[in-house]
Amino acid sequence: METTVSGISNKMKCPKCGAEMNFHAQKITYGIGSSAGGDTETAGGTLQEFHACPKCGAVASRLVAA
Amino acid sequence: MSEHVARLLTSEIEKRSGVETELIDIAKMQLSTSDAGEAIKQPEFAGKMERADAIVIVSPEYNHGYSGLLKHVLDSCLKEYIHKAVGIVGVSAGPFGGSRVIQNLLPVMRELGLVTIFWDVNFSSVHGVFSPEGALLDASYVRRIDKFLKELIWMAKTLRCGREQITID
Repeated sequence: METTVSGISNKMKCPKCGAEMNFHAQKITYGIGSSAGGDTETAGGTLQEFHACPKCGAVASRLVAA
Repeated sequence: MSEHVARLLTSEIEKRSGVETELIDIAKMQLSTSDAGEAIKQPEFAGKMERADAIVIVSPEYNHGYSGLLKHVLDSCLKEYIHKAVGIVGVSAGPFGGSRVIQNLLPVMRELGLVTIFWDVNFSSVHGVFSPEGALLDASYVRRIDKFLKELIWMAKTLRCGREQITID
């Protein structure tokens, strides 16, 4: 999965059609690799961005590095 | 009996112009049980969820809850659901029309990033609602489904516009 640095705006390219995607959501997710009680903001989870393609409707996500 | 309900919903959705739909029977998916979550993502199912603007979940109620299979399937995707509309149809043999399973699904929908609508459809005493062949015996359900679908489609269109046009920051 792609990773971006928090606060830096760089548009994702659609993996299907290459168009610039729209960044429409952020979410904390928990899974293998999450550390209990780690980062205060994410409560040990990882922050993901979610993007949608205005051309073809494809979706993509990437991790946000602290 | 939930299959009859799912087929009825599918046929009512298919009547609407500009809307494509597909009935997915999760019992036929043969999803791996050796792991859970996105680790067992099935490309075919994930592709359908990615293409969808909205999902209708038809769920029977078992002991006030949903089936483990439904949760197992839902957990296999995430990015495919974010900011998409979901409507829930409860099915029960008793008088409450799956209202408890709907309530129990709501926090799961929220955590998956799906946006719930405020209309549900409740099939109470479902054995009396369909003939053994699956014909609907109570036409009032069609009116209830109409209200449910109007709200769902409005939400799906609105969220699609938001996903594609409105940036979070």
